[in-house]
Amino acid sequence: MKLVVFLKQVPAVTEIPWDPASGRLRREKAPGMMNPACRHALEAALILKEQHGGELTAISMGPPAAEEILREALALGADRAVLLSDARLAGADTPATSYTLSLAVRAVCPDCDLLLLGNQTSDSETGQVGPHLAEELDLPSAINVEELKLEGGVLRVKRLCDNFLETLEMDLPALVTINTQGHPPRQVPLGGVEDAFSRGEFLVLDAEDLKADLARVGMAGSAGRIVKVYPAGGERRGELIKGAPKRCVLELLERHGDRLGGYLRKDLGGER
Amino acid sequence: MSRRQREDGAVWVFGDYRNYFQNRVTLQLLARARELAARLDTKVAVVVMGYRVGRWVREYVAHGADVVYVVDHPSLKYYLVQTYTRLMERLAGEHQPRIILVGATGFGKELAARLASRLGTGLTADCVDLTIDEKGRFIQTAPSFGGNLLAQIMIPTARPQMATVRPGTFQELPHDDSRRGEVIKLPLPGDLPPEKARLIHSRRVKPRRRKLEKARVVICGGRGMGSKKKFKNLYELARLMGAQVGATRPVVYQGWAPEEALVGQAGRDIHPEVLFSFGISGAIQHTAGIHDAQFIVAVNKNPAAQMMKMADVAIAADANQVCLALIRELKARLEKKK
Amino acid sequence: MNYEPCVKHKVVRNTVRDFAEAELRPIAHEVDKNSRFPWEVMEKMQGLHYFGLQAPRELGGAGLDTVSYAIVIEELSRVCAGVGLCVTVHNSVALYPLLKFGSPQQIQRLAPDLISGRRIGAFCLTEAGAGSDAGAVETLALPCDEGYLINGTKIFVTNGGVCGLALIFAKTDPDHPRGAPSVLMVEKERPGFSVGEIEDLSGMRCNPVSSLFLEDCLVPPENLLGRRGEGLRIGLSALDTGRLGIAAQAVGIAQGAFEAAVRYAKERQQFGKPIARFQTIQNYLADMATRIDAARMLLYRACAARDQGQPFSAEAAKAKLFCSATAREVCNLAVQIHGGYGYSKEYEVERYYRDAKVTELYEGTSEVQRMVIARDILSAPA
Repeated sequence: MKLVVFLKQVPAVTEIPWDPASGRLRREKAPGMMNPACRHALEAALILKEQHGGELTAISMGPPAAEEILREALALGADRAVLLSDARLAGADTPATSYTLSLAVRAVCPDCDLLLLGNQTSDSETGQVGPHLAEELDLPSAINVEELKLEGGVLRVKRLCDNFLETLEMDLPALVTINTQGHPPRQVPLGGVEDAFSRGEFLVLDAEDLKADLARVGMAGSAGRIVKVYPAGGERRGELIKGAPKRCVLELLERHGDRLGGYLRKDLGGER
Repeated sequence: MSRRQREDGAVWVFGDYRNYFQNRVTLQLLARARELAARLDTKVAVVVMGYRVGRWVREYVAHGADVVYVVDHPSLKYYLVQTYTRLMERLAGEHQPRIILVGATGFGKELAARLASRLGTGLTADCVDLTIDEKGRFIQTAPSFGGNLLAQIMIPTARPQMATVRPGTFQELPHDDSRRGEVIKLPLPGDLPPEKARLIHSRRVKPRRRKLEKARVVICGGRGMGSKKKFKNLYELARLMGAQVGATRPVVYQGWAPEEALVGQAGRDIHPEVLFSFGISGAIQHTAGIHDAQFIVAVNKNPAAQMMKMADVAIAADANQVCLALIRELKARLEKKK
Repeated sequence: MNYEPCVKHKVVRNTVRDFAEAELRPIAHEVDKNSRFPWEVMEKMQGLHYFGLQAPRELGGAGLDTVSYAIVIEELSRVCAGVGLCVTVHNSVALYPLLKFGSPQQIQRLAPDLISGRRIGAFCLTEAGAGSDAGAVETLALPCDEGYLINGTKIFVTNGGVCGLALIFAKTDPDHPRGAPSVLMVEKERPGFSVGEIEDLSGMRCNPVSSLFLEDCLVPPENLLGRRGEGLRIGLSALDTGRLGIAAQAVGIAQGAFEAAVRYAKERQQFGKPIARFQTIQNYLADMATRIDAARMLLYRACAARDQGQPFSAEAAKAKLFCSATAREVCNLAVQIHGGYGYSKEYEVERYYRDAKVTELYEGTSEVQRMVIARDILSAPA
């Protein structure tokens, strides 16, 4: 069977350094890592490959540094890794990204049986690329999948959606997005890293290789324009208490003990 | 990429009625849609697809819909994303809405994404605000790539303009039975492609995280607590206070707290009377979920952390140390009363 | 700040860092406090090729180049130096000598257990009277009909408390004072082999450093590694590689302490601002960063020389000398930056400070490294 997993390299920090002067994110200042949900998707793909045999291709759209996560995928057991890297692909919104990924599928694995993605990325968190891509390729999809099983060319998945535990069945080819609840990712073996570089099949494709319609990729292909970026606010700027922890607690209770007691429905009065 | 320039289309809302009564996102979107439509001098329409959906049609009219498009058919009894997408595409193609709003429920997000691809337009996720600016442009405000940033986005040419919005972002209008709306019943087209995903089994499960959303007192912990072992102290404090414990994403990823405790954009929105925040820096994914707290006490070693600015009382000290000191002090005061 | 010769080294670093942060970070403090060897983590490492880092892929090792090897040890030591120590000693001075000097039969018999980590290796040179003066060992492996009868006591054996295979540096000719030192391989099951008490050391406390007693311990002739009398050559070769591992440890310890110091300096406020804004602290951080970079470069240069098949003894000695001193200096400044808190076990830097010192002492003290370097200088043609 032919599997494709899509990976994204995301910043390995929870808050990305931001340059207030230009309003742009300083992504280059943050080290990268494989998006956690993508890691779970990769794990699900590896398990399927182990159970059913076949070929697993890992694809990522990103700058040259994204090679790192693709090599990681090779080290874990992917057969092939493909990097879609081209300045013209950058700045894409989710539909433009999905269009680009669909071109990659057509280019390297047109007869693929199952596409897997993480359910969302830790930096954008839209969760949209998977469903967009399914529609681009006219495939059935299930998002936020926790369990999947393949039997006789039919994929059965279990997922929780809006408080409904649903079991769905799809004929292949199909697309799934995997959440972080199941498929605990395995650790990367160091011998695998060695293999990933000494024998791993690694391709880089640009917009020409993908036969991309340049009007549909990158910033050019994105519908939205950012008008303004600003801090979120919600600032109350209350009072500040400093000092040794015990003193802080005493001061907190001294000044606000009655109010807090009201909220807690308890009498917090101290020595009176 | 769609370049349709139809500028007098209506503002549409997808009728997501599953889990009604708790799920009120469609009503909330209707309220905001009314404001947008008023500014744009157009109407508000809701699309309802399903089986025996008359009740929702009436609800939506009572909550602000001028028009309701209804497709009522037994085969639509369960939410099926490919079928619903194709149906919405047909309806949108015929009636050319200018804006389509979809509640960011699990199904809504998938539907909106597939529909946007189908229509060749863009989609902005998890908008925290939707307005019309002084130039008459539809402005979507959404969180930007982590951190405490918001981005205002406008769509120059692609139509319809699509957005998903999280439940709880907007306030619904009161139910008004005197409101009237036009109900347009449409048949199920016979030539829709067959649904390729089959629903084998669907079972309603108890929502896992209600305790946190209903809690009056919440204690949230972040990485500043230091370790999984120290994080556990928050549970002891919660026991003393009768509170629920919430957590930030990094803490959940590290396994210090379960997924159900996640508070924020991807987790729960909480509405406590008092919120204690321990060792949290204040990234917007978290703070988006806590705005409604009446009284916030934040503890962080760093007095300049964003969370500290959002607090009514900010304590600049080690989060775990303060937690332990608070436990000791509360034990002394509360147990003394016995 | 990380010099990455190529993408592969970046991926190796990320891989080990992820593992160390997930598996070692939560226990580093506790295993040091309780002097506990973390078996549960060791088991996970077995399946990931940590015990055969440079062993060929065909034998089940990872087949990594020496720079990658150094990166692995650095990243482990950045979080838990004692575990880094276990892994480097096992790889450099136990497994490596076997693969380099062992016969095909010996390799077939003993290497798989080492590479898989089922047996942890140890190299036993030091005795009460023989530290820097390696030739003064008294442990005797008396040749006899059945093989070699070994008697002696080895001290300060890294991994001693958990080793499955010990490489014993012993003399095999009792008639000569420095008689024909050789290396005998002893499996722990051999009668006459026993482990002494675990040493109570200042740092790297999760590593069970102990004495090993050999009392009429008989090993067959096939347990002689290399030739009789070749012990010095084997030992020095092992130590050349081992020194790269120690230097890598030192860089890792320095890096960990440095990162802690930077975090602390940004958070700690005095006189109304973070102490990172004061020039003295900034000078410290700048010096620390520069030294660590220089140390890393020196280490990688030695690693690259080894991979290119060039002699690298002097380069390894320079790396070990400089990297270990760097670790000590950086950890000292890291504690200083933490002020009083740096002296408390609540903060990690206290442990890094203790861990750093031994890098100047084991696998050849800094004085011995200077000897090696000076000899190299003075032996060069004029």
